[in-house]
Amino acid sequence: MLDRPDQGRSKRRNPAKPKGRQLDDGALANVRALLGDRSRQRDHLIEFLHLIQDEYKCLSAAHIRALAEEMRLSQVEVYEVASFYDHFDVVKEGDPEPAPLTIRVCDSVTCMMMGAEQLKAGLEAGVDANAVRVLSAPCMGGCDVAPAVRIGDREVGNATVDGLLAMLDENEISVLRPDYKKLDAYCEHGGYTQLEKLRAGDLTPQGIIDTLSDASLRGMGGAGFPTGRKWSFVRGYEGPRLMSINGDEGEPGTFKDRYYLERNPHAMFEGALIGAHCVEAERIYLYMRDEYPAVLEIMRECIAEIEAAGLAEPGFIELRRGAGAYICGEESAMLESIEGKRGLPRHRPPYIAEVGLFGRPTLNNNIETLYWVPEILANGVDWFKDQGKEGHPGLRSYSVSGRVAKPGVVKAPAGSTVNELIEMCGGMADGHTFKAYLPGGASGGILPASKGDVPLDFGGELAELNAFVGSHAIVVFSDADSMKDAAVNLIDFFTHESCGQCTPCRGGTEKMGKLLRSDGPLDEEAIRDLEDVMRDASICGLGQAAPNPVNHLLTYFREDL
Amino acid sequence: MSNTITLNIDGVDVTASPDETIWQVAKREGTRIPHLCYLDQPGYRADGNCRACMVEIEGERVLAASCKRTVTDGMVVKTATERAEKSRRMVFELLLADMPEQPVDAQSTFHDWLGEFSIENGRLPGKHAGDVTHALPTSQAPLHDVSNPAIAVNLDACIACNLCVRACREVQVNDVLGMAERGHHAVPVFDIHDPMGVSTCVTCGECVQACPTGALFEKTLMDDKLRTRTVEDFDNKVDSVCPFCGVGCQTTVYTKDEKIVLVDGRDGPANENRLCVKGRFGFDYAMSKERLTKPLIRRDDAPKRGDMQIDGQMLRVDDVFREATWEEAMSVAAKGLTDIRDNHGGGALAGFGSAKGSNEEAYLFQKLVRQGFGTNNVDHCTRLCHASSVSALLEGVGSGAVSAPFMDAGKADCVIVIGARPATNHPVAATYFKRAAKRGTKLVIMDPRGQELMRHAEHSLRFKPGTDVAMLNAMLHTIIEEELYDEQYIQANASGFEALREKVKDFAPEDMAEVCGIEAEQLRAVARLYANSERSIIFWGMGVSQHTHGTDNSRCLIALALITGHVGREGTGLHPLRGQNNVQGASDAGLIPMFFPDYRSVENGDIRGSMEDFWGRSLDPKKGLTVVEIMDAIHADEITGMYIMGENPAMSDPDQHHARAALAKLDHLVVQDIFLTETCWHADVVLPASAHAEKLGTFSNTNRQVQIGRPALPLPGEARMDHEIIIDLATRIGLDWSYDGVPAVYEEMRQVMKSLDYIPWERLEANESVTYPSKPDGTENWVIFDSGFSTEDGRGRIVPADLRAPDEVPDEHFPMVLTTGRVLEHWHTGSMTRRADVLDDIEPEGFAAMNPREIAKQGLEAGDMISVSTRRGTIEALLRADREVADGMVFIPFCFNEAPANALTNPMLDPYGKIPEFKFCAAKVERAVMSEAAE
Repeated sequence: MLDRPDQGRSKRRNPAKPKGRQLDDGALANVRALLGDRSRQRDHLIEFLHLIQDEYKCLSAAHIRALAEEMRLSQVEVYEVASFYDHFDVVKEGDPEPAPLTIRVCDSVTCMMMGAEQLKAGLEAGVDANAVRVLSAPCMGGCDVAPAVRIGDREVGNATVDGLLAMLDENEISVLRPDYKKLDAYCEHGGYTQLEKLRAGDLTPQGIIDTLSDASLRGMGGAGFPTGRKWSFVRGYEGPRLMSINGDEGEPGTFKDRYYLERNPHAMFEGALIGAHCVEAERIYLYMRDEYPAVLEIMRECIAEIEAAGLAEPGFIELRRGAGAYICGEESAMLESIEGKRGLPRHRPPYIAEVGLFGRPTLNNNIETLYWVPEILANGVDWFKDQGKEGHPGLRSYSVSGRVAKPGVVKAPAGSTVNELIEMCGGMADGHTFKAYLPGGASGGILPASKGDVPLDFGGELAELNAFVGSHAIVVFSDADSMKDAAVNLIDFFTHESCGQCTPCRGGTEKMGKLLRSDGPLDEEAIRDLEDVMRDASICGLGQAAPNPVNHLLTYFREDL
Repeated sequence: MSNTITLNIDGVDVTASPDETIWQVAKREGTRIPHLCYLDQPGYRADGNCRACMVEIEGERVLAASCKRTVTDGMVVKTATERAEKSRRMVFELLLADMPEQPVDAQSTFHDWLGEFSIENGRLPGKHAGDVTHALPTSQAPLHDVSNPAIAVNLDACIACNLCVRACREVQVNDVLGMAERGHHAVPVFDIHDPMGVSTCVTCGECVQACPTGALFEKTLMDDKLRTRTVEDFDNKVDSVCPFCGVGCQTTVYTKDEKIVLVDGRDGPANENRLCVKGRFGFDYAMSKERLTKPLIRRDDAPKRGDMQIDGQMLRVDDVFREATWEEAMSVAAKGLTDIRDNHGGGALAGFGSAKGSNEEAYLFQKLVRQGFGTNNVDHCTRLCHASSVSALLEGVGSGAVSAPFMDAGKADCVIVIGARPATNHPVAATYFKRAAKRGTKLVIMDPRGQELMRHAEHSLRFKPGTDVAMLNAMLHTIIEEELYDEQYIQANASGFEALREKVKDFAPEDMAEVCGIEAEQLRAVARLYANSERSIIFWGMGVSQHTHGTDNSRCLIALALITGHVGREGTGLHPLRGQNNVQGASDAGLIPMFFPDYRSVENGDIRGSMEDFWGRSLDPKKGLTVVEIMDAIHADEITGMYIMGENPAMSDPDQHHARAALAKLDHLVVQDIFLTETCWHADVVLPASAHAEKLGTFSNTNRQVQIGRPALPLPGEARMDHEIIIDLATRIGLDWSYDGVPAVYEEMRQVMKSLDYIPWERLEANESVTYPSKPDGTENWVIFDSGFSTEDGRGRIVPADLRAPDEVPDEHFPMVLTTGRVLEHWHTGSMTRRADVLDDIEPEGFAAMNPREIAKQGLEAGDMISVSTRRGTIEALLRADREVADGMVFIPFCFNEAPANALTNPMLDPYGKIPEFKFCAAKVERAVMSEAAE
């Protein structure tokens, strides 16, 4: 009737089958074999995608279709999740499969400073692209040993082209797990006694909450929310309650959680079990970023040790593996990810303490926060509180990287300044003059050396400079570095990591990057307008903080524009 | 109300409910706040992602999305601060920067709001330019995807607002669309980023109706390149109802140059703006070039043959018919009928009306047959759909209508759907079932064939075909044995429980498991779930009714409801999903051989006496013949003349050769239709009539809602309104009829239909939908049987059923089971939908479906032409591999005249409902011999 018989269509459905992609029996058998007798619950989707990706090095459309069938989901419910995370490679019919081995070269700001770009170019020239693919990847927590690279599941610091090619030849691509303090060793020095005291009634939840509050322990993931108060809030909402542990340490420049977990992981677990007990959580979900394969292995071993020792019921601590998405470090996005979904931050209110994982009141703590709990309980309020500077109670773990002589995790008083931290790191690297620094990873802004005596703590003077300390990731720049390059690197990072949910962040990050790169005079008014809408109207902290470095670039580093 | 709070918006104190959002309160107060990702329509959750509706809340660091944020007591909101307005403007500027220069739809919500800002585009770079941050995956569907026959996708206009995803996933629950990728690559995708036209998309068009930019848009309104809207305004906009299934979706029909160019869903009680592919995109059949526009009279040199086929190749229309004037055609039509009546008596005549026509047409048609022919030989396709359900319901609860609307699935804790495929045949009703399941209602699907709903089900019982009674009696056994029945309810409301108890003793699940193919434990679990749930409701379709034991199947379902008390309350009940848009209304209006309007028996002298008084003549005291019986009576020379309106028995009746031979044998056949259907081929006179979109009338849906259809199109050529043709014919056969329009017919009908008490025409006009029965104060009784049943003693009657095998079981010659049914895109015999471009494009040819295992076992391949034979005949069809078809079965839809399933089906009838066994007969399948390949 409409006299448009073809409508310019090249694709039509095949009448020999029902609509859409049909189930393939072979693929279904593969998926069933991988899943075994695991419960097909919806929140295991990402775990199942890992199983397939690990086995087949990609997610074929046939396997996605089969997994959907097996989980009673639609294809798109599986695909949209798979396509959200960097560590999944969806391969459709007729597309080439990725090379069997992947090398990820960190392109975050510290590694960029340390030559990641040349490293990647050198690698690309040196490998057989059919056997090895070389990808850029965001921060993998190796900033102290930049440039950082991951070859297969092997994490490599201070990477060089030759070294990596040699490792390739030797097939050194599996996880290299550092020695850490096992359960026995931890217990030898009083480990798990605080938990036992709590369980025996010698300590009470309220007493512990008071101790943590008095000691001024704050959330070390970046928000700095008082830990005692958080636990108390969660306890106040009607159960059943859950607990999650945020091990998605993705803020560029941050590697302190990894530092603790690779050395003394049981302190964190003890803290977690104490927290779970205090809020009467029915289960702990430990969300660990997939960029830390060694830590993941440690976590598996620790949980097995804990279960074997009867410290927790089997299954009480459930390990969930991230899949390459910075945004999942945002607590509500992390909960979405644990539920097996795309990591989109939720709107607040309601806060997750009230409506969290699976709709339940949820206690979420960062790794380091929990790490300090047993030690504070053992040593008392003052031990922790008094380590800080005047007006800045407590101890902090600064991840210091960049142009310092000895980068690494620096345990220092809260409120330390960058000048002090540089000093503690053996001063600037040879031949470099202190020019600028990131006080709080990619999000906290960029401050000039002239602001080097600002106490680095939550709020306070930093906030007045529109900067923040966040996860205490300090990246130090020198006269060799262009702050525009740094800002562009950071905005590119945010562009890549924006979840894409809200307009200001999705469009703002991308367009800010393009404006910064554009030839000709910078349209500063447009950039400032973008900054406003991102800060005021983004759903979560990513979009709200993403313009910080650009703001400071325009404010403090005009000579670099 | 105590549960209200007070907030301050722009300096004004306002009271509100705490579950309202700022946006809603502001709207009520007359403040317009821009919105893109929020659709202020039923079923749409606010997502708060576009950030076009930001407002400032005192004491908060950042702005808040007013569409998402609920109000709290003491909240101070400022909607118009510089900061909020700047944010909104920047959101529009950001989105605009990524849009094509030429908007797809300049009238979209986006452009509508854009006009309120003065934005000079060009300052921000577009996202498609110079992307350096992230390489796109290779095999994506293109930015411009026109692979769907009805919908163009222009992703350059997409603002990733997620409305289409919510439309697909939350409103319709088709789960085809999702938001894939991340950041500024975030993109709505179909399945695994497939082109829309080859995805699992069912083309319901909900996404189009929701899209705020035109990124998803109706092709009918666009230019040849399908990039820009060209139909910018409409000549007319008419509120109507959908012409297809019994769900009764309300629509708005838009016309331009006397053509329908767009149909949108309207907020009716049974669809809340939703439509399916047929309702939204199947409208163009009415404008088909194949419409009959002139009366036709059979040529003297065109003898009738049961196997004749007018397909334009072998036989052309003018080989068989000649055009005639209305005067000639009507006088030939009338003379043929009166001659037979006068010479052989009214019993030699019969009439088939249509469940596609209006209530008024159905009423007039049966009145013509009863009053004018003097016979009760009047029936329609209800006989082929739910006749057995209706006979069981009349026997058990005293009314053939549903006890509760299908929307009550949302109020139920347990929903059983048996022998029905709502996602195919009642797609919008299916959305209510899927939404209920998403909210936690336990869904139980029972069907030998798999189906989409099973993904959402707690239990899916793919039982052996024809073993319904075994399975249902096993459930009854469990409920009685485990004492899960409601003793009090039974005592107060039902009779026959003891006989049931005795009967089902022999049906232990452990014994029935082998018979019906479902494990005993699952049978018990489902029985417990149904009985123990606070509210359980049963829906069924033709998988239950179209059997020689169809009435028994329904009796079991009625027994389940009666012994558990799951009827008569919200969220409980018995609901046979009615097939056609007006099958409920046509039956109510008396278009069935045993009843006058409102199911009053023609054999009851008192009732007949009152009707004789009302119509002014004596009436046939015996109930008439049913659809299949009429065909048999023609072969037996008892019936020699027929008047058929809008019905296509040549395609819809079982054992088509037999049915067509009967039609060809008639001395006089008058067919009134909009197309030259297969039935018309055997006619003496063909009268060109009106399509749904051309007429005014009322239609009663499966929920007992009476709704108004209104004309949107002029009649083509010389075609006439159906009711005018009936009235003209009535006059010519000697009746003194005179009606002042359709409302007058409705009002006459109301005089003999108590069910329409308190529902005058004016009320329908004002309310668009009224559910009967209505109370004097206007309250609609959505749920009936809340206090007793419509039976004589007010009690429900439990009738135990025995296990009987289907009439024709597979044997060595015919080893397969043939089952028939429908497809999503085609309606009934396909006479309308195969002439709707979009629908016929999606399902263009006749097929027979078997599962891949069975196909391999038989050495066939999907895509082969196969021949399917039964004892009635053989057809050829394309073989489709469909995992949903059970082993040993072949499924053929009956809508394709090139592969007509009803050439194969068994005409054996259910003894009570007189419905044929469409769902089961023995068949064999072979690779077709390519007889024409050599030519």
